[in-house]
Amino acid sequence: MGRAKKDRRQKREDYRAALREDDVTELPRKKFYRQRAHANPFSDHRLIYPPHPDQMDWSSLYPDYVVDEPQQDQQTPAPETPSDRELTPARPKRISKDVEVADIGCGFGGLLVALAPLMPETLILGLEIRVSVTQFVEDRIKALRRQNEAAGLYRNVGVLRANTMKFLPNFFRKGQLAKVFICFPDPHFKARKHKQRIVSTTLNSEYAYVLRPGGIVYTITDVPDLHEWMVQHFEAHPSFERVPEDEQEADPCVPIMRTETEEGKKVERHKGQKHVALFRRLEDPAW
Amino acid sequence: MAVPCHLLKVCGNIVFAAQGSDIHSFSSELEHISTWRYPVKQGAESTTPAAEVQESPAPEEPPAKRRKVGGGQEPTSNGGAAAPTDGQVKSRKAAQYDNPANERPFVQGLYATADGRHVVAITGSDKTIWVFEHDGAGKLKELSQRAMPKRPCSLAFTADNRTILSANKFGDVHALPLLPSPTTTTTSATTSSSPNPTTGLPLSRSATPSTPTATAFKPQANELTVHTKRNLKALENQKRSLSRKAFEDQQQQQQQQAPPPFEHALLLGHVSMLTAICVGTATVAVPAVAAQASEPGTSIGNGTGNGAEAASAPARTTVRREYIITADRDEHIRVSRGMPQAHVIEGFCLGHEEFVSQLCMAPGGREELLISGGGDDDLFIWDWVNGRLLGRSGVLEHVKRVAGEDVDKVAVTRVFGCGWQGTTAVFVVVERVPALFHYELLDDSRLQHRETIPLRGNPLDVDIIESPSGGQRLLVAMDPSASVSIEEGSSSLVVLDKQETGWKQTNVENLPACEDANISADELQKILYSTESLRKLTDFD
Ligand SMILES: C[S@@+](CC[C@H](N)C(=O)[O-])C[C@H]1O[C@@H](n2cnc3c(N)ncnc32)[C@H](O)[C@@H]1O
Repeated sequence: MGRAKKDRRQKREDYRAALREDDVTELPRKKFYRQRAHANPFSDHRLIYPPHPDQMDWSSLYPDYVVDEPQQDQQTPAPETPSDRELTPARPKRISKDVEVADIGCGFGGLLVALAPLMPETLILGLEIRVSVTQFVEDRIKALRRQNEAAGLYRNVGVLRANTMKFLPNFFRKGQLAKVFICFPDPHFKARKHKQRIVSTTLNSEYAYVLRPGGIVYTITDVPDLHEWMVQHFEAHPSFERVPEDEQEADPCVPIMRTETEEGKKVERHKGQKHVALFRRLEDPAW
Repeated sequence: MAVPCHLLKVCGNIVFAAQGSDIHSFSSELEHISTWRYPVKQGAESTTPAAEVQESPAPEEPPAKRRKVGGGQEPTSNGGAAAPTDGQVKSRKAAQYDNPANERPFVQGLYATADGRHVVAITGSDKTIWVFEHDGAGKLKELSQRAMPKRPCSLAFTADNRTILSANKFGDVHALPLLPSPTTTTTSATTSSSPNPTTGLPLSRSATPSTPTATAFKPQANELTVHTKRNLKALENQKRSLSRKAFEDQQQQQQQQAPPPFEHALLLGHVSMLTAICVGTATVAVPAVAAQASEPGTSIGNGTGNGAEAASAPARTTVRREYIITADRDEHIRVSRGMPQAHVIEGFCLGHEEFVSQLCMAPGGREELLISGGGDDDLFIWDWVNGRLLGRSGVLEHVKRVAGEDVDKVAVTRVFGCGWQGTTAVFVVVERVPALFHYELLDDSRLQHRETIPLRGNPLDVDIIESPSGGQRLLVAMDPSASVSIEEGSSSLVVLDKQETGWKQTNVENLPACEDANISADELQKILYSTESLRKLTDFD
């Protein structure tokens, strides 16, 4: 590794460490968090995820929502065999509500930060596969919480590093989510890369699984072909229907998606088009 | 290189055993009946559609995985599993070494329909599903061969035995009619296909609409439609690669636009390598109204009985539902509805912390239970309809007693459930461990280890047969080269009889001569022992 590169990395780390000091309220700067544009969603990475949503510890993401409860574990008799013990893994600290809004591929977190005050009673989670981008959002949320200590803002928003194409069901139970945002997803132009697209017929079944009936998938992109792709794939999926345009335009999340995402801002500067489409999760058919 | 028998399927009183690219049949006395041999292709003139389409998915597979071993199961690269990567150039080159015309791919899966009338096999590098008619006496008649665009890794049949569900390494599950309609061209498929008995829909109509074809999208954007730097860069890269490999890309796209020329429908998919698929049925009590609305489920009567009880309680009835259960390398077991609603995920059985490689519906009328195994130390027992873990049963602890205390992980390669001498038994094979592990499924859903049966080699597959005298015998396919005690004339097919003093192991001596496969010992090992390679490396990123 070259010297220059090492220095740069050191600088980054120093910067980020300093920012994490408790009293710092300065917002993080993107240039210390840049990362290669693409992470292969098919490889293993070194991801951390719970085996089951019940084992997810949300308390560090939403510390203000942690429920104080007496340790109930002592009352139940100790399991007899080691296997039985593993059946009831240590329950993580509970929080008083479930995450209900997920931003898939949240990037630098513009949408999260704009949604947080709009729905202060709702827990919002950003999911991002790139490590340092996730770190940026984490630091950003921390700084915002400190800056807005008195108003108690941004306590309802968190971010996780995750590969959403594989592990959504590890984080969310069936029907847990009310809204899923997919904003400016990577286009993967090449036909052979289409399986890497974050919207596909088969993946849409997983979005349907984590969404409750009536829940909404929000999509936006500047790439017309990708827009068309997403519309076709969601419309073709029996669990979704497109939300009519008047309803779409009346949804307060839509303008936020257009103007507050980092990508949305870039497209704005380039005077590009933004294509929005919303899809409603339908009830499962009788069987 | 001599290859052992590596797959077994007992079908009534006939034993089928795959050895390399051959499928032998034996009587219940283990007398050889006949052998089906994979047809050797004549030069470039291919008799199978496989040769034309087999490489279409190549560019999406990681190069490491494409280093093929004479048609065997590909060595799974850690991390790259089922992973389209950027290695197109290399993989295309590697593809030239795949499955040369004279090479016969290994049988990688051997199945029989519940009625025993059909045997179905998967062969490896040509990604082909073969359907045979079984005359009930050990003779196979080849009915069809269908080269799948992606390599199938596990098959299951719908409960009516009429549809094959094929799970592939790219994470997708396709439905194919067991018996393709006589004129299987894409155009005639829609018109001539017989309606699917479960759905009433022609099978070619996808339950989950399949991905619209690439043509509909013209994925290329131009500078005017791409506004962010990130996307511009992606477009740049695309252009560059286009000019460099325009020809290949074009070819690739053509291949993508040409679906295989037989009826098949995409049912569901994981973004992960699938390792196992099975079909489960459950009898569920539902309100009578719902049951009426329910078409696909078969109403099998009034669950609340008759008389006063039925009158007072809200009318309930039971329906029999079919589910598709799929397992992947990323620790998931997914429970989806059966056709035609396979797009609906009913739930997951989550708890594994390593890959899942085996699914086994509990036998003996215990179909509400599912047993799964893989890279974890234990087997898991599930109430799969409700996605609830009921129990775990150790494997590693018993392996240690055979293979030594320093063994710290296991890869379960077979979980075989059956009725066994009045009990419900589960026999387990662990990769490279020369023993068979016998568990009993108890009435309270616990899975209890009963016995470890030491073997003279590494077992590769297991099944049971009724002996002529009426008792049950265990049949084990094994790799005698890995023999723990080298014995004269050790066979790769062994019968085990339980006796007062222990297990009597009898070699099946009269194995038909098998052409030595053109394969190195190393490559053979990779085919026979591919499960551990599913494990993720912890230091990989
Ligand atoms: C073009 S950016 C859009 C970021 C943000 N939504 C916005 O609109 O500003 C797409 C983001 O999705 C992330 N991403 C891609 N695949 C992902 C996956 N499988 N899981 C989680 N994030 C993913 C990328 O790392 C990238 O940050």
